[in-house]
Amino acid sequence: MPEGDYLDLRLGDFLEGLSGSAPGPGGASAAALTAAFAASLVTMVARESSGSWADSGGAAAQARELEERVVPLAAETAEAWEAALGALRDASDGGAEKGGELEEKLARAAELPLAIAEAAADIARLAAVAAELGDGTYRSDAAAAAVLAAGAARASAHFVAINLGTRQDDEWLERALVSADVAADAASRALDAGP
Amino acid sequence: MSAVATQQTDAELVHRCREGDAEAWNALVERFSRYVYAICVQGFRLREQDAEDVFQDVFTRVYERLGTLRNDDAVRPWIAQLTRRLCLDKLSSGSREEPVGEPRANEEAMMADIDEAFAVREALTELSEPCQEVLDRFFARDESYRTIGAALDLPPGTIASRISRCLRKLRSQLEGRNEA
Repeated sequence: MPEGDYLDLRLGDFLEGLSGSAPGPGGASAAALTAAFAASLVTMVARESSGSWADSGGAAAQARELEERVVPLAAETAEAWEAALGALRDASDGGAEKGGELEEKLARAAELPLAIAEAAADIARLAAVAAELGDGTYRSDAAAAAVLAAGAARASAHFVAINLGTRQDDEWLERALVSADVAADAASRALDAGP
Repeated sequence: MSAVATQQTDAELVHRCREGDAEAWNALVERFSRYVYAICVQGFRLREQDAEDVFQDVFTRVYERLGTLRNDDAVRPWIAQLTRRLCLDKLSSGSREEPVGEPRANEEAMMADIDEAFAVREALTELSEPCQEVLDRFFARDESYRTIGAALDLPPGTIASRISRCLRKLRSQLEGRNEA
């Protein structure tokens, strides 16, 4: 997979990279793009609801902002994970660790899924609002967006836990788990909003 | 930002500059410095030193030629035109430094984008402090609803609707400006 923004790839090439054995995107990248899909759906629902929802323009602007925030994280998290794996391999082969380099790389590998989890939670919240206030025709899309974002948040929280080495008292892990819970609540609200 | 810079119209500021008011000169430079710099760096992709050179040239010429400006309300497009010309001169003269990237091909569209960005920035300053704060945190600092809520002591669940309300006010400000 080429480095850089996955937006430059065809969807088929991204899926090929995801299923292949070569270094590249994994679960956290997929979670980031799932969150981006959800944000795009919220943008669509908000734009289509401009006639009946006074704050639809503001919701669309926020959804676009969250989408732009989360898309680059898909590639960054894959690169960070690769770097952390490389450092772990070096350490286990007896390579000398340079000034906490391994710790830094592991922290980065956990920090990015946390950012994805927090963005996904915000997307889920916004999707729930869209499901409640958006045009009736599109509320099911908003509910779908909330569920997708909640899945992305939960998956990302899992990566934070794994990449931190499961320190249960860690502040990052706590934030990631809260984000996953917030997103799950938002998804429930969105599904209950009705057609 | 000084009181002169925030309260006076462009034309009033130009009028005071012509009368030799030093404070008004400072305010004029303050008002347009980011604008000139944005054209140099974002539009023409000049590197820092070349952008500094153009910046100095622009305000030297504004100082020397302000008396020739026929319409005081048109100071912004006049400064923009001056800056564009000096940027092109800098590029064609074989400047000391290579540009950071290719200058944007469509100069009109580039200027429209920069003008729009500055109009939004100015309209923002006319919103209430809480609105400026919440919009800045979300759109400029990329903060999450949770972080914004914690910083402003607000429930995170209300942040999205606050942002939407503030954006609606910002839009009203911008539409008011366009109508004026």
